[in-house]
Amino acid sequence: MLKIENLTKIFNDKIILDNISLQAEKGDIAVLLGPSGTGKSTLLRILNNLEKPNAGTIYFNNKKINIETVNRTHLIGMVFQQFNLFEHLTVEQNVTLVLEKVIKKNNKNAKKIALDLLKHYGLADKAQKFVSQLSGGQKQRLAIARTMAVKPKIICLDEPTSALDPLLTTHVANNIQSLADEGHIVLVATHDTSLLERLNCTIYLMGKGNITESATSVEFFKNKKAYPLIDTFVSGHIED
Amino acid sequence: MVDYQLLIRSLPKLLQGALVSIQIAALSCTIGITLGIILGLVQSGKNKFLRILVGIYVTIFRGTPMLIQLTFAFFVLPEIGITLPAFWTAIVTIGLNSGAYVSQIIRSGIKSVSKGQLEAAQVLGFSKMQTTRYILLPQAIRTVVPALGNEFITLVKDSSLASTITVIELTKVGQRIQSTTFDALTIYTGVALIYLLMTSTLSFVIAKVEKRISKHVEN
Repeated sequence: MLKIENLTKIFNDKIILDNISLQAEKGDIAVLLGPSGTGKSTLLRILNNLEKPNAGTIYFNNKKINIETVNRTHLIGMVFQQFNLFEHLTVEQNVTLVLEKVIKKNNKNAKKIALDLLKHYGLADKAQKFVSQLSGGQKQRLAIARTMAVKPKIICLDEPTSALDPLLTTHVANNIQSLADEGHIVLVATHDTSLLERLNCTIYLMGKGNITESATSVEFFKNKKAYPLIDTFVSGHIED
Repeated sequence: MVDYQLLIRSLPKLLQGALVSIQIAALSCTIGITLGIILGLVQSGKNKFLRILVGIYVTIFRGTPMLIQLTFAFFVLPEIGITLPAFWTAIVTIGLNSGAYVSQIIRSGIKSVSKGQLEAAQVLGFSKMQTTRYILLPQAIRTVVPALGNEFITLVKDSSLASTITVIELTKVGQRIQSTTFDALTIYTGVALIYLLMTSTLSFVIAKVEKRISKHVEN
């Protein structure tokens, strides 16, 4: 179980995250929904030690996590909006470099594990291609495969659909759902409301650094009127 | 007119000189690259004090003529107890000078690597050292191969300045032969052609390297 308690982030006198708390169980998808500038990406970045919080505590299975060393423990992984793949390497090398240098697998094992991962994400035939030769959807799947190489228990996805063709949303949603079904805790920061109906998730609507309303996707779609803030955001986006 | 017979007679000596020129260029290039990578990394790093030191270093070595630097190293350093053979004085001085230029080239290469890749590496658990070695530098160097190539070509030509501090390299050999034969046209044509041969060979090799390492951006 992931538990975030009273997380606060102030940047240049501006409150980005205001004493925010939330928790998620194994197999859960927590969707941080909201317009840009509401701190949802910042929350994910803090969990991955890319930003330092001003206050707050994070627990995993009731044990306090030291965020400053979290990257070495491979507890949390991140799939970036722009994927941030290693552009000088082939698809396979993007995964094997992690396995060899970080997980310390020997070359032969690394190749085998990498190929299995690439197969799982439908990239086996692209193994020897360079990153620049992949489509957006393939890049994202590679980013997920690379993240999975370190076997994180918590996976963060920052705006997973915004750099992709809208037609791919269903594929992205399927990938996210399978991560949760495989037993990971999944956190998604997004403003893309079309993801919601495709995921079995908990929606956390963010506004001005805090959660203004939350509901499971099932509850929300059963009775939208009970969640006026989420409903406004969702319908507002549909009219866009 | 060029005296071909004199040219052919002088060729073995000129080529011997050229060999020394190549040694100077190659060794100072090694110093330049090693130093340039270290200084470039330091200047792209977080330590402000070290960044200022590198800044001063670069300002001095880029802001003064190499001829003056060589003369300084050859005549002034021995007075404070630092003596090196002329050959090594030339290599070290040209190397230190080149390091200043290479550091700025490397720095621009480092800037060209997206910050996102470094964040991805951090999140995946790469150490800072590993990130530099496997992600930052390979890409930084790739982007600056053309600029580094120019720097190496400049080094070959700059090695001729070693002649001013008594190193018997190609230019010095040429000067010596000219001073006994008084045929400047023939000798300096020969000297110039040998430099041209060396720099164009280098250009050719650099172009090959460029082509090979740009594979990852092909579509």
